[in-house]
Amino acid sequence: MKKILHADCDCFYAAVEMRDNPALADRPIAVGGRADHRGVIATCNYPARAFGVRSAMPSAQALKLCPELEIIRPDFERYRAVSADIQALFFELTPKVEPLSLDEAYLDVSDVIRFQGSATWMARWLKEQALSRTGITLSVGAAPNKFLAKIASDWDKPDGLRVITPDQADAFIDQLAVSKLHGVGPATAAKLERLGIRTCPELRDVSLARLLENFGKFGQRLYELSRGIDHREVNITRERKSVSVETTFDQDLPDLAACQQAVTALVVKLDERLARHEHPPLNKLFVKVRFNDFSITTLETSGVTPGLEIYQHLLDEAWHRRARPVRLLGVGVRLTPPDDLKQLGLF
Amino acid sequence: MKFSISREALLRPLTLVAGVVERRQTLPVLSNVLIDVKDDSVSLTGTDLEVELVGRTVPATVDVAGSATVPARKLMDICKSLAEGSDITIAVEEGRAILRAGRSRFTLSTLPVAEFPNIDEGQGEAEITLTRGTLKHLIDATSFAMAQQDVRYYLNGMLIDLRDQLVRAVATDGHRLAVCARDAEFTLDKPFKMILPRKGVLELARLLDDSDEPLTLTLGNNHLRAHTGNYTFTSKLVDGKFPDYERVVPKGGDKQFCADRAELRQVLSRTAILSNEKYRGVRLNLDEGNLRVTANNPDQEEAEENVSVEYQGSALEIGFNVGYLVDVLNVLGCEQVQMTLSDPNSSALLEAQGGSDALYVVMPMRL
Repeated sequence: MKKILHADCDCFYAAVEMRDNPALADRPIAVGGRADHRGVIATCNYPARAFGVRSAMPSAQALKLCPELEIIRPDFERYRAVSADIQALFFELTPKVEPLSLDEAYLDVSDVIRFQGSATWMARWLKEQALSRTGITLSVGAAPNKFLAKIASDWDKPDGLRVITPDQADAFIDQLAVSKLHGVGPATAAKLERLGIRTCPELRDVSLARLLENFGKFGQRLYELSRGIDHREVNITRERKSVSVETTFDQDLPDLAACQQAVTALVVKLDERLARHEHPPLNKLFVKVRFNDFSITTLETSGVTPGLEIYQHLLDEAWHRRARPVRLLGVGVRLTPPDDLKQLGLF
Repeated sequence: MKFSISREALLRPLTLVAGVVERRQTLPVLSNVLIDVKDDSVSLTGTDLEVELVGRTVPATVDVAGSATVPARKLMDICKSLAEGSDITIAVEEGRAILRAGRSRFTLSTLPVAEFPNIDEGQGEAEITLTRGTLKHLIDATSFAMAQQDVRYYLNGMLIDLRDQLVRAVATDGHRLAVCARDAEFTLDKPFKMILPRKGVLELARLLDDSDEPLTLTLGNNHLRAHTGNYTFTSKLVDGKFPDYERVVPKGGDKQFCADRAELRQVLSRTAILSNEKYRGVRLNLDEGNLRVTANNPDQEEAEENVSVEYQGSALEIGFNVGYLVDVLNVLGCEQVQMTLSDPNSSALLEAQGGSDALYVVMPMRL
């Protein structure tokens, strides 16, 4: 039986801001883009959540809910530095760490012999160390697999610690709403509800055949999750599939010429970002265009040199598909899958 | 403690001993060298708790026997930068070490000798004697393949496999493997295997030369001690199970070619310039009488080389990390190299034409 920890920083970007300026702690704050620039909220602290502010909410809407909300421009350099300290802490416990983002990771601690192998003690240690070394509070879930560990870390947030032992797993799943399952968003939840399924025990009563018929491949996954089955390994080398940069403009770009001008800065930024990833091998280049009617088009071509000329060429073709003002532009590269470029091992 | 010594007599043992001392230390005394002065000898000791080296040398005069610990790197840098042939006097006065040479004078801090740790080497199980040249050859032929900071900690070192009158060294980082074996004139009741840590291997190699001077190894369960000339080297051993290297050496390769080693190495080194900097992949296309080597990089630059080979058989395309091939060609001392392949997903065997005491296994890359 495996022992998996899911560690998640509590409102990470906002937590870093509050740590560096304690005066913010009791006021509703958020980290995100400016409301008059069509920005969205990346993270907000708990006082802000009390007003109904949520991440991914447009900043303008957040300000309507909470007029005194202070929206701070993100400083990713600083967040990355704190994240690196926290990740380093994870690696002190085990080399089997799968970072999911700056503030979240899975740890496979099945083979850890420290703390007498107790996942509870390990989780407690992580929380103490993260707080004393970085001033950031973690919520940690411990469970026999990834999906339960993730639900567990969210259970007592903030500053939570929830352990689901193998013999508690069935009882724990029995009380879960299907919307708690990984991959079940509002649309799938609504579809399940139409089938009369709201909870995991109800989901378990549905035959695999019926789930496959209604949900395709995801039906198999639902069948397994409702039984607490999740064989996903903690993936130490998480595969990055693409690198891209995109911007939503304050004012829509009226025509192709304006778009061509705007794309120059994006290509420079993309180059910086690729340098940060040590110029991984690429095999495709793409542009993404969102028009002012919110329709999206993307266009990609095979190629390995992310230069301005080729992006302008792609943009030209993509823009002509609808030929109207543009709200968002993105440029990016698709990476060569590591399996295609792999050093084979001896044992 | 007070003695005088020529710069040259001090510098060589001091340089070797200071090599063991790590730049970053948890314990302050570990950045020091222990100087122990007897009536007619001076011994220098450096340690990082894993590897310890003692070098002995002869003083010109000893005024007061005794011992002290002083900062290793600073002492070495001072001695190095003094003029050749300088006479050096070192004395401890009021807890500080004073070094005088001609009109130069340096005052160094000291730390108590009692704080200087010993490696506790325990009981030796057996003792054998071989030559410096034998062990140097084995290390030179294989050490490049050792892993560095691999989570499989037992790969961060070298397997030394001793049997009656045979010593074999094996190193692997999981992608390539190097084995070299030599006969030696010692007897051993039962085979003895140990994993010497990477640092121990590199420091031990610095004590060796191509000579037939004797080298005595004391084999312990947790330690290896090597004694040669004026040096005594002790290293902890890695506690772990080394992979079964015999299982990894490919047996069924049916595509064997021979090439001029120096020429093939140059061809690969040139091609490598335009390979992907991170993955360093090159493509080998083997055909009758010819080997084509190509590489390209993310900037779509390309290199192509052709080299004549002795080969008759079906064509094969296979990719490799070019660095792994060049490493092997660098240490093989032969004129002609022989490479045995079977298919693009199976390992390659490299050795001197007709075989010699060393063989190398390299896994391919999928390109």
